[in-house]
Amino acid sequence: MAEKFDHLEEHLEKFVENIRQLGIIVSDFQPSSQAGLNQKLNFIVTGLQDIDKCRQQLHDITVPLEVFEYIDQGRNPQLYTKECLERALAKNEQVKGKIDTMKKFKSLLIQELSKVFPEDMAKYRSIRGEEHPPS
Amino acid sequence: MENFTALFGAQADPPPPPTALGFGPGKPPPPPPPPPGGGPGTAPPPIAVTAPPGADKAAGCGPFYLMRELPGNTELTGSTNLITHYNLEHAYNKFCGKKVKEKLSNFLPDLPGMIDLPGSHDNSSLRSLIEKPPILGGSFNPITGTMLAGFRLHTGPLPEQCRLMHIQPPKKKNKHKHKQSRTQDPVPPETPSDSDHKKKKKKKEEDPERKRKKKEKKKKKNRHSPDHPGMGSSQASSSSSLR
Repeated sequence: MAEKFDHLEEHLEKFVENIRQLGIIVSDFQPSSQAGLNQKLNFIVTGLQDIDKCRQQLHDITVPLEVFEYIDQGRNPQLYTKECLERALAKNEQVKGKIDTMKKFKSLLIQELSKVFPEDMAKYRSIRGEEHPPS
Repeated sequence: MENFTALFGAQADPPPPPTALGFGPGKPPPPPPPPPGGGPGTAPPPIAVTAPPGADKAAGCGPFYLMRELPGNTELTGSTNLITHYNLEHAYNKFCGKKVKEKLSNFLPDLPGMIDLPGSHDNSSLRSLIEKPPILGGSFNPITGTMLAGFRLHTGPLPEQCRLMHIQPPKKKNKHKHKQSRTQDPVPPETPSDSDHKKKKKKKEEDPERKRKKKEKKKKKNRHSPDHPGMGSSQASSSSSLR
């Protein structure tokens, strides 16, 4: 799995470096650097071909759209991961609290109903397969 | 108090099930007993159609006809710590344990150019790539000799407004380099920042001498001034003692 990404990363880094070098050549162009420019242009074409080949290996990868918003705003995309994890944990705790409260409520309700309707609650417990009310 | 069974089992005309309120399908009211002869117009009871999954068991539950099966304990719910369940503690500690730097350049430090600016400024946003995808279909072919003729450029430097490649956000990098040089080399090379630092130190050393001189001048002035005869010295001494 990681190899696929390493492969793509390597190609992207090479491509970016080629573009950077091309920028340097172009920024102060000399007649002698025409051959180098031509070479760099063809490197870019081969670089794009290499990146395009990586597409076949990564067709099953999904990226959340929200990450793009972070990148477009010039923000670190790791912040998205951080916020996702924090949100997941907060929601997890919230749901756990609800479940625990409902369990407490259930045990209290059974306890109180057993006082008022002992026969019915005995039947209920026998149906549920509980000998004693849950504490 | 009425019996529990009387409350739920012996209702002559129970209200319709509150499905419209979103409470789910309850068990429908018990059908009227069929006539002894089994008339031809008797419709089959609608239990089979609307009965919930646990209705088979609930049918034999006596007064508890609204009872359903409890969810199994094996089902994954929010009561378990899902981050530990999916082995994400490492990721959680990595991203939430320490402060993640805000800027995109901290994530991609080797990428040239100004990448911290919003993509909408220079029309380089990824969102626009999705909303208006480029025309695809063609393959990438190498540029041949005749096509390369189109890339013959004029000699000389680019105009200022076109030099986007050289604009970098290197402030932090420079600071980092200085820090490294300070830690690695005991005698740092003379850099502008270091010389500034020395100048500041000199200024700080000179400051107390200047203050003393100024104070002395003030004292002299106060002594000679007709408005405050003899007051200046006492004030100065009190102020100096306070300091």
